Amino acid sequence: MELALANPAFWSRMQFGFTITYHYLFPQLTMGLAWFLVYWKWRGLRTGDEEYHQAARFWAKIFGLNFAVGVVTGIPMEFQFGTNWAGLSRYAGGVIGQTLAMEGMFAFFLESAFIGALIWGEKRLGPRSHFGAAVAVALGSWLSAYFILVTNAFMQHPVGHRVEPDGALGIASLGDYLLNPWAWVEFAHNQAAALVTGAFVVAAVGAFYVLRGIHVAQARLYLRAGTRAALVASLLVAFPTGDQQAKMVGRHQPVTLAAMEGRFAGGPMAGVAMIGQPNVAARRLENPIEVPGALSFLAYGTFESYVHGLDEYPEDTWPDNIELLYYSFHLMITLGTLFIMLMGLATVQSWRGRLESTSWLLWVLMLAFPFPYIANTLGWMTAELGRQPWLIYGLFRTRDGSSQVVSDGDVVFTLIGFTGLYFVLGLLFLFLVGREIGHGPEAGVTPS
Amino acid sequence: MIAIWYGIVSFLLIGYVTLDGRNFGAGMLHWFVARTSSERRQVVAAIGPLWVWHEVWLVGFGGTLLAVFPRLLGSAFAGYYLALFLILWCLILRGVSLEVGGHIDDRLWQGFWDFVFVFASFLLAILFGAAAGNVARGVPLHADGRFSMAFFTDFRSTGNVGLLDWYTVSIAVFASVMLAAHGATYLTLRTEGPVHDRSAVCARGLWTAAAPLFVAISIASWEVRPDVPGQAIGNPLCWLGVLGIGVSIYLLISGLASRREARAFAGSNLLLGTLLATGGAAIFPVMLHSTLEPDHSLTADAVAASPNALRLAASWWPVAAALAAAYFAFISRRWAGKVSAARDTQGY
Repeated sequence: MELALANPAFWSRMQFGFTITYHYLFPQLTMGLAWFLVYWKWRGLRTGDEEYHQAARFWAKIFGLNFAVGVVTGIPMEFQFGTNWAGLSRYAGGVIGQTLAMEGMFAFFLESAFIGALIWGEKRLGPRSHFGAAVAVALGSWLSAYFILVTNAFMQHPVGHRVEPDGALGIASLGDYLLNPWAWVEFAHNQAAALVTGAFVVAAVGAFYVLRGIHVAQARLYLRAGTRAALVASLLVAFPTGDQQAKMVGRHQPVTLAAMEGRFAGGPMAGVAMIGQPNVAARRLENPIEVPGALSFLAYGTFESYVHGLDEYPEDTWPDNIELLYYSFHLMITLGTLFIMLMGLATVQSWRGRLESTSWLLWVLMLAFPFPYIANTLGWMTAELGRQPWLIYGLFRTRDGSSQVVSDGDVVFTLIGFTGLYFVLGLLFLFLVGREIGHGPEAGVTPS
Repeated sequence: MIAIWYGIVSFLLIGYVTLDGRNFGAGMLHWFVARTSSERRQVVAAIGPLWVWHEVWLVGFGGTLLAVFPRLLGSAFAGYYLALFLILWCLILRGVSLEVGGHIDDRLWQGFWDFVFVFASFLLAILFGAAAGNVARGVPLHADGRFSMAFFTDFRSTGNVGLLDWYTVSIAVFASVMLAAHGATYLTLRTEGPVHDRSAVCARGLWTAAAPLFVAISIASWEVRPDVPGQAIGNPLCWLGVLGIGVSIYLLISGLASRREARAFAGSNLLLGTLLATGGAAIFPVMLHSTLEPDHSLTADAVAASPNALRLAASWWPVAAALAAAYFAFISRRWAGKVSAARDTQGY
């Protein structure tokens, strides 16, 4: 990566990367947990079993805290398009502004109108409308993800655009832009990964209660729903969505695929490195242990397929942090594989009725919840580092996108401000969520 | 088409100011109208379930601005860099204080978050007021449509101006009084008991104080932008705005006098809305005035996206607006009625 002095966009990249990574810790749980709330409220309505209502009520408290931090950390994201990325706004605002506006108008209005009703309105609304509020919030949060992913997909693989007379980008076809094939694949992959986070958190709290021998009836619900949803979602993350995503990168960003795998020379029978350290200066992967032909097969369908190497492309189109990109991608894959194994085992034990007595597995489930957050973050690092050096792939370079009038001093100042504020916010969030989990689910209707 | 989008973007911003402005107002008055811990929970509960709904209007505004006036967003947001981040940080603090304050029933905990709520609300009212002042006065725009502005320079309102000068600070003070009065009017509508009675006193006092300030601000604005009134006189929308201001003042005064709180609050919303709308209509088609050279000013035409982009946005925006109106109806019905100190604080 170019040093700060050489690259006018350096500090704005740092700030956007930090604030978006932090922000996205919260929406991924919101989007995963939302469907657990819908599910438990629905089961409660159908069966009249109080346990389901109680589960929904307990998780709604954690959902509310998580949602609030997601909202307050989300608003700076939209504003940074103007404050830090004025060059991008001028060039592509007519395109990406459409989906950012749609997100606000269609998704946020929906979510925010019903979030109050979901968290505090159980008594006021009655069971049916309250269930409706849960569905509205879940739909709103997923809709919001779709609009953001269309925006990102345009930056990864621009379609449906044209150059307007004033030199800026405009939309040639709204349909093509909104139905970008990259967006569909990215949406499926990302949303499955959000479900993984939600399911791991639910399962972890269930395991925690069972291990302590408290709230056992509730914990059983969390464990069962959490482990099964986590298994299904982890499988979906890998196949078909992750597989399709990698093929998409291979087709439209072959230089990125080469960098993700640390492949400097092209050729057929390309392998996937299980272990290896990229040495960019020497242009080789060191100490590699490879599965031969695997990359050719995964990316292009046959073992003989030719996979391009970095050497085939001009160096100024290489991603500018190949090392970090390589490790992000490989660690993500490793974690995803471990998730499938862990949750497969947990589901088998759950079917046999032995999960609650397998204490070592409960320990692993309890301690595993941070890893989906890490895997989600690594996935986004792969996508965004892989997109470099472009802001809009093939059209517009990152270094041209930042605001010319904003000095590095200003950006460093606000980055320090965000770091401090978000550190305190993180402590506060962990403290309050820890407190709610310590209290545990309580019987009876909470005051509404 | 461009004029319609100017109206829509203004509408979203005015919607945000009237909706979230009541929360800033309630925040500024929090310590004055609510003395005991349960009264303070009552104030928070009166705005609690709705603040997110109010805040997303700002996001709706920002997104729509990017879609239809991308060059304005690129110029203004970068130019106001530090001020905007102060606003964003205060919004974070305000939201957090509302959400977590009620989580722990403890004097120190709640006292701390009450302080954060009051502090952030004050700063937000002042910053948004100063921002409005900056739009009215103009900014040091160069010929390339860019500017970068210090917090303050020589406190004069011409030439190489800063964010704060005598005029924008006056507007900030005026805006704070207006928003506090707006918040007090809202609290009289949504609370009962001692909080209601103190809010009613505050509302009457603050609206009375706002009247001479308004006259002073009008004269000051004339002084700073002598070109605008001449332009506004020929604009029928401005006359409509003046009529709207008259109607809202009537609603406000008659509502306050006869204790018809819904009427007073309607007047309060309408007054904020028509004042901003009249100002917006008066400066159109200039969206950002240059204090260096009038020719450098950014007009709506110059900063708008392509006609095609505006047409596309026009194809989906009314649908979104209709849906938002439906949610609004739902919310207004669900969260109507008064919040008492003793019960029904929705967990806040």
